[in-house]
Amino acid sequence: MESSALARFEAVVLPHLDAAYTLARYLMRNASDADDVVQDACLRALKYFEGFRGDAATSARSWLLTIVRNTAHSWRKRHRPDALGVEFDETEHSDAVVHDPEAKETLGRALDRLPPEFREVIVLRELQGLSYKEISDVTGVPVGTVMSRLSRARGRLQDALRAEEVR
Amino acid sequence: MTHAGFEAQVDAYLDGELVAGDARALETHLAQCPECTRFRDGRLELRAAIVTSVPSFQAPPALRERVLAAARGSSPSARAPRRFTVQNMWRPLALAASFALVALGSWTLALQRAAGVALADDVLASHIRSLMPGHLTDVLSSDQHTVKPWFNGRLDFSPAVYDFVGRGYPLLGGRIDYVGGRSVAALVYGRRQHMINVFVWPAARGPGGPSTRTRQGYHELHWTTGDYTYWVVSDLGLAELEEFAQLLRDADSTTSVPASR
Repeated sequence: MESSALARFEAVVLPHLDAAYTLARYLMRNASDADDVVQDACLRALKYFEGFRGDAATSARSWLLTIVRNTAHSWRKRHRPDALGVEFDETEHSDAVVHDPEAKETLGRALDRLPPEFREVIVLRELQGLSYKEISDVTGVPVGTVMSRLSRARGRLQDALRAEEVR
Repeated sequence: MTHAGFEAQVDAYLDGELVAGDARALETHLAQCPECTRFRDGRLELRAAIVTSVPSFQAPPALRERVLAAARGSSPSARAPRRFTVQNMWRPLALAASFALVALGSWTLALQRAAGVALADDVLASHIRSLMPGHLTDVLSSDQHTVKPWFNGRLDFSPAVYDFVGRGYPLLGGRIDYVGGRSVAALVYGRRQHMINVFVWPAARGPGGPSTRTRQGYHELHWTTGDYTYWVVSDLGLAELEEFAQLLRDADSTTSVPASR
């Protein structure tokens, strides 16, 4: 990589490494997979960086998060194809949280149990403060879908909180 | 369940994603619908709970190093193995010593940073709690000469209180809040529909800052004067919040504030 492009990569992309790692951490649910995914994503980012035209800090963040998100999803499919189907079964999880009297979980664990497409909107909005439009760009779904997913995901987390309070 | 469709609307409203007309219509509805109001309060509680119990992570330093090395095209493993001789021994030793120093330094830094992050989270959670009905102000007054004396006897210091109504940031009131394990003064200013919380308490250290943090769509500005620690929080745009913070700092530097009374 040319030194000017390298300097630009360091200045534009690397400030968002914590955000990238946080997203990967919640998508992969463990530190070592998150580590691998972020490194893999950064290598891809490097490869495509010459083609990246955005200048604003937020668009660089969205750009990197998009790559991290896609890398994480393809990793999950490649390494844990069986786990995917289970996690998309949403109703089973919410029932377990609300009705199981033993279900005492912290919010973090409740978040880990959400399906990945719910988990990512929560992380992008609540932890990283992205707008609905930015979340739509990162996840590749329409803004209306972002809005409804976010709302349903929050409903689930609140159920988990209530279940905790009851005990 | 509240009325179908309203949940996502309330979420979008709290996220600042509704256009002004829809936001006003929703506010009108909230004012007359206790069910939806309860729903909104539940969401605010969830938001405060997320701030305190769902952490953001820092990328491990080793990961950062690997990414940098990859960008520079010099992965450390690609280097030729070096022969271990007495002449070469000073290198790894010096390297180890400098690593130890760096590790010690970054460990101390990480501790300080973690404490700062915890405090910033605490401040943000207080801000969000204050937005729940009936929590914003204990003394509701736009008169600085009413708000300032109200703190007397309630705190062991007397915060500076200004009214910037002429600049578009009217004083709305104040309250006592609890942040970082101590009672602090919280002053509330408005800007259009936005609330600004200013948290003030006597400074433990010398002047510093300002620093900025954004989380969940809220901006936090933090600085320290010789006498006081300031945290300013709002969902207002960062440029306007910085303008407001500058007003505060200017007012502070022109009126000398006694550290205690």
